[in-house]
Amino acid sequence: MSSKENNSWPSFPDANLETWKKSAQKSAPNGDVDSLGWKTPDGIHLKALYTSSDVEGLNYTDTLPGFEPFVRGPQATMYSVRPWTIRQYAGFSTAEESNAFYRKALDAGGQGVSVAFDLATHRGYDSDHPRVTGDVGKAGVAIDSVEDMKILFDGIPLDKVSVSMTMNGAVLPVLAGYIVAGEEQGVKQEQLSGTIQNDILKEFMVRNTYIYPPEPSIRIIGDIIEYTAKHMPKFNSISISGYHMQEAGANQVLELAFTLADGKEYVKTALAKGLDVDGFAGRLSFFFAIGMNFYLEVAKLRSARLLWWRIMKSFEPKNPKSLMLRTHCQTSGWSLTEQDPYNNVVRTTVEAMAAVFGGTQSLHTNSLDEAIALPSEFSSRIARNTQLILQEETHIPSVIDPWAGSYMMENLTQEMADKAWEIIQEVEAMGGMTKAVESGWAKLKIEAAAAEKQAKIDSGSDVIVGVNKYKLGKEDLVDVLMIDNDKVREGQVARLKEIKVKRDSKKVEAALEALTKAAEDNSGNLLELSVNAIRLRATVGEVSDALEKVYGRHRADTQKVTGVYAAAYDSAEGWAKLQTEIADFAKDFGRRPRVMIAKLGQDGHDRGAKVVATAYADLGFDVDIGPLFQTPEECARQAIENDVHALGVSTLAAGHKTLVPAIIAELKRQGSDDIIVFVGGVIPRQDYEFLYEVGVKGIYGPGTPIPASAKDVLEQIRKSVKPA
Amino acid sequence: MLEAADQALVNDLTGAPSLRQRRALAKIITLLESTRLDHRHRADDVLNSLLPKTGKSFRLGISGVPGVGKSTLIESLGLYLIEKGHRVAVLAIDPSSSISGGSILGDKTRMERLSVLEHAFIRPSPSSCTLGGVAEKTREAMLVAEAAGFDVIIVETVGVGQSEIAVAGMTDMFLLMQLPNAGDDLQAIKKGVMEIADLIVINKVDIDPDAAMRAQLFITSSLRLLGFQGNPDHASHDKEFWHPQVMTLSALEGNGVPELWEKVSHFESLQKANGKFDSRRKEQSGAWMWDRIDAGLKNAFRSNEAVQALLPSLAAQVNQGAMAASVAARRLLEAMGHEFF
Repeated sequence: MSSKENNSWPSFPDANLETWKKSAQKSAPNGDVDSLGWKTPDGIHLKALYTSSDVEGLNYTDTLPGFEPFVRGPQATMYSVRPWTIRQYAGFSTAEESNAFYRKALDAGGQGVSVAFDLATHRGYDSDHPRVTGDVGKAGVAIDSVEDMKILFDGIPLDKVSVSMTMNGAVLPVLAGYIVAGEEQGVKQEQLSGTIQNDILKEFMVRNTYIYPPEPSIRIIGDIIEYTAKHMPKFNSISISGYHMQEAGANQVLELAFTLADGKEYVKTALAKGLDVDGFAGRLSFFFAIGMNFYLEVAKLRSARLLWWRIMKSFEPKNPKSLMLRTHCQTSGWSLTEQDPYNNVVRTTVEAMAAVFGGTQSLHTNSLDEAIALPSEFSSRIARNTQLILQEETHIPSVIDPWAGSYMMENLTQEMADKAWEIIQEVEAMGGMTKAVESGWAKLKIEAAAAEKQAKIDSGSDVIVGVNKYKLGKEDLVDVLMIDNDKVREGQVARLKEIKVKRDSKKVEAALEALTKAAEDNSGNLLELSVNAIRLRATVGEVSDALEKVYGRHRADTQKVTGVYAAAYDSAEGWAKLQTEIADFAKDFGRRPRVMIAKLGQDGHDRGAKVVATAYADLGFDVDIGPLFQTPEECARQAIENDVHALGVSTLAAGHKTLVPAIIAELKRQGSDDIIVFVGGVIPRQDYEFLYEVGVKGIYGPGTPIPASAKDVLEQIRKSVKPA
Repeated sequence: MLEAADQALVNDLTGAPSLRQRRALAKIITLLESTRLDHRHRADDVLNSLLPKTGKSFRLGISGVPGVGKSTLIESLGLYLIEKGHRVAVLAIDPSSSISGGSILGDKTRMERLSVLEHAFIRPSPSSCTLGGVAEKTREAMLVAEAAGFDVIIVETVGVGQSEIAVAGMTDMFLLMQLPNAGDDLQAIKKGVMEIADLIVINKVDIDPDAAMRAQLFITSSLRLLGFQGNPDHASHDKEFWHPQVMTLSALEGNGVPELWEKVSHFESLQKANGKFDSRRKEQSGAWMWDRIDAGLKNAFRSNEAVQALLPSLAAQVNQGAMAASVAARRLLEAMGHEFF
């Protein structure tokens, strides 16, 4: 046989989209080619095939990195010269332990320090405050004064190592503590580099670690932007965060829109203080979550830069740097599972790749055990190495914005930007993000998205390997880090006593009074005054109180979503049967099963509690919701007063070993022997036995479908109600 | 005769304020709300034994559309009253879902400060738990709270027409809350709720004082048009008989709460002096009896076996147009063994 081979590439017969459709029809379910692909929760149709027609007419597909509109990245060279910063977030109860961890991580290739604070610190309480007995040392390091700060950064040169601090509520005393710790190390303010989260608006929507109401909180942010613009040119005054929104259930477009709308609000705040836009815009940074929706996450970061450029253009800065969005990213903690937890390494890797393809400036990769506890030394190492492998083995960083020019990616980038822009305009029409937050509208939108997402997982229409598909018969225990909360608290209380004896209390009092006065008169700079007070050894709690006297503590207005869960759960198996069982219960006992869902202590992560409440009500339970930040005593009283059958405690911040026994004891003390207690949230398997022993009737960890927990609760209630 | 367990609850309830009293009050309300017949008999006995200790409170009904700030006002008012030495019970009626029958009861999240005070009691109830309408069980719960020594009882309900009228029909004074927004005001007049309001409170004056003032004028003139109010500046009107009034306040900032209570106290003293306080309560008791008779008859009818046997086929015939509705109704009623007109 002779071959017709010659020295040119062969030609091929014409094919167009129509002929492709015809051919694809044969294998598409029901011959429906148009609905192939995936309808995202954002309402975007991710099509099965993109062609050149999908990028026709798009304006921003042929641009360059380091130039407007910055779709392709804020710097000209991106990772080809210097890869992203590996920045692992951690905090280990005490300043001493955290310090040891940071030093070890820096030695092992970490490139910056990222501090997680405990719940009491976030909410501006000293460790000896009676409301925080169960919260000290939980989910991060306890900081009461500059003495703790000095231990935290001992041996870490603050003029060289950049420090990122996740702090929003008690942002004044904590930032002041950092400044004074640097000062006493011999480092000048202008040398300090790093970031403080300082993004209060999203706290009112999702995480709830606020102290004051929205308006004074915004004033504080204005003061911090002003102070850092003047004294700390290398420090990012704010990290505008979408992370927690996605973690709380927001889809990517919602995360994008609300985050940028928050950013816009902060810019307006700073301008209202009379600052020049170029004086601070370059120090605004962003923080996004990167979840498992790979394409969407890459496109999200590209759209974010495009949108921010568009927003900032309207403020007419002179410096192009004011138009660029620079961001930190963290892989999604929500996407991690308690079941078959080594799968989490794979999930985190995929997410890390999306963040890198999207062009992030720094990245935190989660540890595989993050769904159940604080990371152990082993899991932290794997998490860090995930990034080191991407940086040093794959050659991914060699190419700048490698997805550019992809029909799909360019189309998706523009579509996400357009969809987010619509929401940003809606926020604008309400009078800006502060108003949208105050009205509760924004929070409700996220909660509805969360309920819908949970229902899709519980009904199996969204797959999570090892949770609702391909489940393991037997789960192995993973070693987790345990914290002895009482011991941490005792140590902190002792140190507080010592400080209060040694300091010049007259001077401290005067410094605190100056703070109160500045809040009253709306004068001075609150950060400057906080630095003065902290330098004199005022505590975190005292500085917070000095302002609380004027501003008060914010109380959340809990709004309720109903019907969303049922609608998304659809007609999945077991739903109707469970509803019948609930109706039968009502007949047998004279009322519907009544359940209270509570959050205890300073843990403000209320997505889980809200979703459960909605779903239970949709099933036919009567559901009481407790206010955030309840003490066990207050919670028991509400349960008894409302005469509920069962009390469900939602715990995500490791407080369960203190708070759950406390609530059971309180129920007894207040005379109730018949209210059963169940627990949901993040609880290591190792603690199950302990909780059952103190009297808990049911424990529902991450990945428990809500209808399954509801069925169990109903059975437990039936067992416990005295025949009468 | 009370069952031993119920007697123990009654003893706790009528004793001194304590954790036991709080629990007893909660438990008795649950018993009242039960849809089981044996529970009902026990609840009747409990109520009867408590009756001598009831009636000594001021009963205030508060209603308004969702978001108008009811809970916020109740918290401010409750804190103020407890400070003055009162004991305050709040009975809140939360709407149940018509689809699932379940409900979310989140009121206490908005009364955080009040809900922890010793002299406060707050109990939200789902509206579905009351077979005979919203009013029935709340009315009884009110009596139980009185027997426990609460001297101000506030009944809170979401404004959905029917429930407002029910609440007005069981309280000494009915307070309707409005937003500073004329559209809502028109709505309220259409529903006829304005006719039963003793006091109209325009909340959130802090947000838009001008709109609040406009709303106040608008509602005041509407009341006058409807013939419920003379000129409020004519002092003679207020000397003997109460005329519905309109006031503005900010529940969130706590402004206007003392003024509100002053108006309530003025109302109370006028009503007591001119005899309307007692006559209103007597009327309410009479109406309550008839409500219960209506509900009881309906219940007896629905659970009657002969009726149950006939109902599906007759309902189907009415549905198909094969039988007149009135004929079917009489046949079903007569199935109970009486003649009906």
